[in-house]
Parts: sequence; C-alpha cells; structure tokens
Amino acid sequence: MSPNTRETSYVRFHAERCQGCAACLKVCPTKAIRIRGRKSLCLVDRCIGCGACIGACAAGAITPAVHPVSGVGEGHTAIALVSPVLYAQFPNVMPRDVLKGLRRLGFHHTVDSSIFLEMFQFAAAEFIRRNRTAAEAPWPLISPVCPAVVRLIAFKFPQLLAHVLPVLRPVALMAREVRETLLPQAAARGRPVVLYYINPCPTMGASRTPPGPFPVPLTEVSLGINELYPALRQAVEEAVAEAEPFGREGFEFETCTTGNASLVAMSGGEIASMRIEASLAVSGMQETIAYLSKIEMGLFRDVEYFELRTCREGCLGGALNAVDKYLAKSNIHRMIHIYGLGRRIPRQSILRLYDRGRFRPEQSPTALAERFADRKPPLRLEQAAEIERLLGELPGYGCGACGAPDCPTFAEDVVRGLAERSECVWLAPGPRAARNRRGGKR
Amino acid sequence: MASVSKRYPVRARDFLHAGEASIQIQAFLKAMGLDAGLIRRIAICSYEAEMNAVIHGGDGELEMTLADEWVTLEVRDAGPGIADIELAMQPGYSTADETAREMGFGAGMGLPNMKANADELRLESAPGRGTRALMVFRREAAGGGAP
Repeated sequence: MSPNTRETSYVRFHAERCQGCAACLKVCPTKAIRIRGRKSLCLVDRCIGCGACIGACAAGAITPAVHPVSGVGEGHTAIALVSPVLYAQFPNVMPRDVLKGLRRLGFHHTVDSSIFLEMFQFAAAEFIRRNRTAAEAPWPLISPVCPAVVRLIAFKFPQLLAHVLPVLRPVALMAREVRETLLPQAAARGRPVVLYYINPCPTMGASRTPPGPFPVPLTEVSLGINELYPALRQAVEEAVAEAEPFGREGFEFETCTTGNASLVAMSGGEIASMRIEASLAVSGMQETIAYLSKIEMGLFRDVEYFELRTCREGCLGGALNAVDKYLAKSNIHRMIHIYGLGRRIPRQSILRLYDRGRFRPEQSPTALAERFADRKPPLRLEQAAEIERLLGELPGYGCGACGAPDCPTFAEDVVRGLAERSECVWLAPGPRAARNRRGGKR
Repeated sequence: MASVSKRYPVRARDFLHAGEASIQIQAFLKAMGLDAGLIRRIAICSYEAEMNAVIHGGDGELEMTLADEWVTLEVRDAGPGIADIELAMQPGYSTADETAREMGFGAGMGLPNMKANADELRLESAPGRGTRALMVFRREAAGGGAP
C-alpha cells in the first residue's frame, strides 16, 4: 500500500474540500480509502475505478480523472462515442437532436452505440448457444460489459475470471469500427484524431493511447456526462429550435438509437433482448459482491449468464450522470415506447463476423488479474489472532473516526503497522475514552 | 498451536440473510492467503451447513476455526434433529417443506455435498436434540479433493 497519494488512474482527491465525513470510506468495495488528518487519502494500488466514492461525496472532494471539456475539435478530428445513457438525460428530446447538439459543440462525428450493443448481445447469445452442451465453458458466464465488475472480479474473485464471457465489449467493437473506418480518411487529411468517450462513470480513466498502428496521432479520452451537460443542454435546445437537418456526410452507422439500446442503459437491459432463459441481472455494489461470492461457492450452476453492474439501476446510476437515475429511467421507458424493441442487423451478417472471430477479445483475463489483483500480503495466523483480540476491544460501531472504513479494517491496519491504536477514539487514552470503556459494549 | 476462531449466528427461516456467514468466512480465508480451491470447498460446505440450519434447524451458530494445518467448520442448531442420519446422507433425500422448495432449496444435496467437499464430516443428532455438524479440512491437501 502506498498511503500518500491523492490520485489514482480514475479518481482525484481534493483535500481542501474534504469534510472528513467518512462517507467515501464506507462505499469503497476494496477498502482503498483512509482519512488521515481529516483529509481523504486513497491507497492507490487498490482502486478499481468504480466511482462509488465520487457518488458518495457530498462535498465534491472526490472528482473523476476524466478529460476536461475544452478545445473539442481544435486542431484535430473530434469523434464522440455516445452511450445510450446520454439520451436518457434529456427528457422529450429525440436522440438524434442530442447528436446534433454534440456537433454544435465541435464534434465532427457522433457515433451512436446501438448497433454495437446489438452485435454484442447477438455474439454473447451465440457463444452461449454454441457452448451450451460443451463442458468447457465455466457456468455461469458473467457479462464483460461493466469494467468495474470485471476489475472487482480480478481483485476479489480471481478464480471467477474464467467465467467472464470471452466476447469483445460493445464499446470496444464501436472503437474498432471507428478506427477502421477512419483509417483511410485520417491518412488523407493528416490531422490527429481524438475519440471522445462520453461516459456515465469514471471506469475508463482520463485518456489512453489505443494499441495498434495508426497513420496519425490517435488518442482516446473520457468525458463525464455531467461535465459536458450544461453546454450540451444549451446546444441541444438550439438545435431543436432551429430544426436543423442532420448532416449526412458521416459514417453509415452514425444513424440513431434503438429501443433496445436504450434498454441496455438500465439494469436488466443487456439480457432482456438476448433471449437466454437462464439469465439473471443484478445491480448495486453490495449485491454484485454477494452474488459473486455465491457464484464462487458453486451456486447458480444452472444459470447461463449473469448481467452484473456495480451501479444501482445499471449505467443510469453511474457517478457521472447529470440527471437522477429514476428520472432517466422514465425517459428510457418513453424511448422504448417510441422505438419498440426490434432488431436492426440481419442475423446472417453478424454470424459471418462471429465465425471470422471478430468478437474475440484481445486481452486475456490473466492480464487483468495482474493489473488489478489484491497485492496485500496474506496475514499470518498470529496476526489474525491479534486482529481478533483487538476486535474484542473495539466498539464495532464502524464510526470511521479513526479514518478506516470499519473496525475490522482498522484492526488489520494496526496489526500491519499502518495505523496506531490511539487513532481509535475508543482506545485512545484520556477521559472520554475511559468513560466510553466504562459504559462499554462488551 | 496458534488458531483463530470466528463465530456467526444463524437464524432459522431467515432466507434473506442466509449465506452471509459463508461470505464472510470466504473473505477471511482469502485475506489469510489460503489456496483458492480449498477456500472454495470450505465455502461450499459452510453454505450448505448454514442453509441446513436455516431450512430445518432452529436458531444456531456457525463456527470456523483456522489453524496452521487444518480448518474446521462446526454448525450447531436447536432444530428438530435428524431421526435417520444414514437416510439423510442419501443424495436427493430431503425433508424440506414446500416454502423452502419453492425458493429453490431442498434438493437433498446438502449433506452429500458437505461429505464430498470436506475431508471429514461428523454428524451428531437425535430427534428433539438439535444437530451438530463438524467438518475438517486439511490445509496440506489443498487443491485435491472434490471438484
């Protein structure tokens, strides 16, 4: 553990705004956060980028490590990769008008993800169909869609990495298609290309350079929906007022969303149109952890597919949304009424791609295990006994005053030499502690 | 020799919280760096034992003890007890009621699963006197055993 950092690949801590309320400590699934001297600190090598702490911090002291919204389209070709979650932030606005708004903000191309979601769902169902009778596939399979879930598995349940469905995530399919389509144009124009992922959560981090050769500089950056929202809202209103036509110079897949894609933004939406009978959708961090624990215990062997999302209600509940998840959900219900739930891509064309191996992921689960594994050294038996002894002295309230999320974690920190006994208000010497102990719990 | 014990209460008919003790045991053993296959076997047994107490038993307690060379699980409940232990051990035999079956339990695989996954299983029970199940797992046998 490196306890002196205020920044991970996914979140930033602003000590000057921290009120020391301990809300972030409680929600972190990897117990990565400690408060020292009333200011939050993150133990960086345990952060999986789920964004739970961002959502929990009322003081605005924890912000996502996303790209700043400025200079879009200046000196580069700007391409917006749009998640259906974005449309759900705009009640009574057609998704196409949201895309028009993005173009007004300087994006040269806007790419809607719906056909990639549809391709993914088809490929996932196809994989399950083909492996149903084979013994090799480890059942139940787990959806690869939510990166926080996959990292949580690598961190807490490495044995379950083999259960993660080996099909490319929709967003990876989308990015590859855009890169391949752009390749000839980009070489001709010679301008750098920036792919802007418009994200409801901080799981992607700020920016990265995608692998593979490209004729011009190519970067991928993540924009938070909430950062973009004020400007985009205005641009969308202008676009609607002027009833401007949708430019047709784009790619063929720039056309707009489907009811099915909107559905994927919420919990249960991924499996809803996959037509796999034995599938379950679970959302929320605690719920996800409980289900992963039970899957590891060998339960749910009769389930073929699990859709897991660490955010409650699915991606609509992501920490970087602009609109409350329940309002957004009602917007999605409205969109489903308008668009219906039909499929758009012919089965045969996706099957051809499937057979050519176009859905196979490049990264193996072991790479993830190496990057996100829990690196805390295992406890020795004497240490565990010492923790138990200390727990007997602690009140068990989980007040967070010591700066650790709960008493067991504090006890472990003390035994590992990362915290002092006296940091617990209950154990600290002095009149208050003595009074506490007299009327003590045990 | 050093050992650490952890105790968890088990409440009869509390299907909503059933399994939580096993989840905590699983997390603890991971922090202790035990072999993943061994943890899985222990967690399967602990879950089955916990569910047995929830479905059939009265209130009870689950106790896990970790030592250098072995892990034990002991489940005590104040339930109706088992009249015929040999019969109860047969796969598919169950006395679970309709409510438990509707929730997907009561397939009659609990005790056989425990027998298959523990290195040793001892059952003490008589009608009206509750049930005590003791399971032993040898740490050096890690990786072997049942799937």
